[in-house]
Amino acid sequence: MSILYNKKDPGMLKNYREKQRFLSFRFVILIALLFVSGGCASNNIKHYLRPNADVNAVRRIAVLPIESLTQDQYAGEKVRRVVITELLSRGVDVIEPGEVTNFLRTLNKPLWSLSREDIKKLGETLNVDAVMMGSVEAYAISSGLTVSYPEVSVNFRLVETSTGAILWSAVNTSGGASFWTRHFGTENISLSETARRVVKEAVDTLPVSYKTNS
Amino acid sequence: MKLLKINVVIAVFFGLLMNMGCRTPETTYHFAEGVDLSFIKKVAVLPLDNLTNDKFASDAVRQLVVSELLLTNIVDVALPGDTVAALDKAGVRSVSAISAEKIKEVGNSLKVQAVILGSVEKYGEMRSGSFTAPEVAITLMMADTASGSILWSVTKTAVGDSFMARHFGARSDTLSELTLKVVRDCIRTLGQY
Repeated sequence: MSILYNKKDPGMLKNYREKQRFLSFRFVILIALLFVSGGCASNNIKHYLRPNADVNAVRRIAVLPIESLTQDQYAGEKVRRVVITELLSRGVDVIEPGEVTNFLRTLNKPLWSLSREDIKKLGETLNVDAVMMGSVEAYAISSGLTVSYPEVSVNFRLVETSTGAILWSAVNTSGGASFWTRHFGTENISLSETARRVVKEAVDTLPVSYKTNS
Repeated sequence: MKLLKINVVIAVFFGLLMNMGCRTPETTYHFAEGVDLSFIKKVAVLPLDNLTNDKFASDAVRQLVVSELLLTNIVDVALPGDTVAALDKAGVRSVSAISAEKIKEVGNSLKVQAVILGSVEKYGEMRSGSFTAPEVAITLMMADTASGSILWSVTKTAVGDSFMARHFGARSDTLSELTLKVVRDCIRTLGQY
């Protein structure tokens, strides 16, 4: 390229230098964009939906206590309330959580050991088509390399009471601190806000047919 | 032109530097020779051995294994509660000491063709110099309930930091994200069969 301009022609030389500066500027911008995009989170929840299952038949759901697999022993209960609210806001008929708790007391079994027979019995007693069960794997303020951030991770399953088959399942986890929080110290959202967002995103993957605004 | 050349040299230098600073997590897996896995339609995920100091590590990973197996749409998964009931019925006190006979018994009880067992070796924050980063290491195995033999095994270790995160404050994985990635990568190897 150097042979394309005449060194003795100042105008041509100036144009050439300006062009080079512009190219360098574009190069720096490209690197910066790559850097910024590399530091951003993307959320894509993968969810399972049982093939050939009659999901439209599910009209009434019982939300079981959510297992708390974190140091916060109340994390499961906090998340359970959000799940109930999210389901209700979508028009799903959710039975009163106290009824579920009372039934589980009569069973006298830990949540993780509920068998298909127990779920069937629960379905018949409480007259529900499916139960929502799951666990909270993270519910805390975690420390990152440079900043602290709220971390919430949930795992939900919708189980048909008549067959014990898993109809739907979703896992969602909040990412770490955002780009702006990490680099510019902007305010992070709170732990409960994060929990609500994570639950909402997970429940959003429930098929549209559940969202009966009746 | 000179300026452009300098920029290219800097970019190459950074590329090399980043490459040197990157750790590639490895997934090691193995399939039993001469076995056709297409007969497996339903599996049960047994409680995993917890070899960490976090008392919830194995339960958290087990929940993810169930969800990720379902996501493959290759196999159905027995309800975790049913699995616990079958283990109780078979008199299995510790999954780490389960025998081939007990695997057969559990398989018959749950009507599954295979069981998934394994362990969580690392689950938490590791310290590397002045930085801390999440670290997860798991091993999974699939045992045939007809013979009790191991059909598939996979092991993976991953750390949630990176060169860019350490030096330039780029985003790094949280413990939950890293665990999900590790479990997903392990389960994905089933598709290699």
